[in-house]
Amino acid sequence: MMSGESQHDSLAEKRWLQALAKGDPEAVGGLYTIYGDRIFRYAFRMLGNRSDAEDVTAETFLRVMRRLNELRADGAFRTWLFRITRNLCIDRMRQHKLMELPADHAYGGSMEKTTLRITVHQALSELQPEYREPLILCDLEDISAKEAAEILNISVPALKSRLYRGRRALRDKLGGSLEKAL
Amino acid sequence: MKEQEFYKKLVDLYAGEELAQELKDELELAAFQDPDLSHDMQTLSATVRTLRNMPRPEFTEESFHRILMKMQTRGLEVEVKAPTPAHLQLRLPMNG
Repeated sequence: MMSGESQHDSLAEKRWLQALAKGDPEAVGGLYTIYGDRIFRYAFRMLGNRSDAEDVTAETFLRVMRRLNELRADGAFRTWLFRITRNLCIDRMRQHKLMELPADHAYGGSMEKTTLRITVHQALSELQPEYREPLILCDLEDISAKEAAEILNISVPALKSRLYRGRRALRDKLGGSLEKAL
Repeated sequence: MKEQEFYKKLVDLYAGEELAQELKDELELAAFQDPDLSHDMQTLSATVRTLRNMPRPEFTEESFHRILMKMQTRGLEVEVKAPTPAHLQLRLPMNG
């Protein structure tokens, strides 16, 4: 069942996509208002720093405009948007090694929590991309297994297998840090 | 032995909170007598919980505007409507 917020976003998305097809200059702005934060967050999680995440978010919406002919009005816009972002992030990661610890990352809470979060971030960055990506999409960004599988262009069982293995690999990397948190 | 193998396979679903209540109860009961199973369940659940509670990167107003500028600099015509002020969003019936 759709939450009130996502139902509202879905209606707004439909309206802006129709406007985009008519060449309304406010349409990209409207879609950016709906999805800008989610795309930025996903890029930030993938790349590990604000500046690259901002570049990739801007490039994502530029690509939307360049690839308008690929746009389908079947409710798959968000998945398509995430897929574009993912490809852009992968290109950037190939260019230079990213995923360093972000200096401006908000690590609030107690010292133990902060230490654990920094350790988790580092452990995540050390995971193989095929395991890291399902964790970012499903556990950090709370995207359903079905949609995450579509974004990664794999089947749902393959997604789940990678997700479960990724969690176990992360658990093994965290080792003692996690024991302290229990 | 067969049951133990079955329970081990359920741990991933348990940690991801995808298990039906009945099976969850059964697994927790089995864990009382199996320290390895119990450890696997606890540490994997803690991993998932920790991940889900990680703070979200903040999408600041500065980032919002910097991205907008990047798009505009690269030739994209973007117009963002300022949100309607709260006092204009609802038309309330007037008293009296």
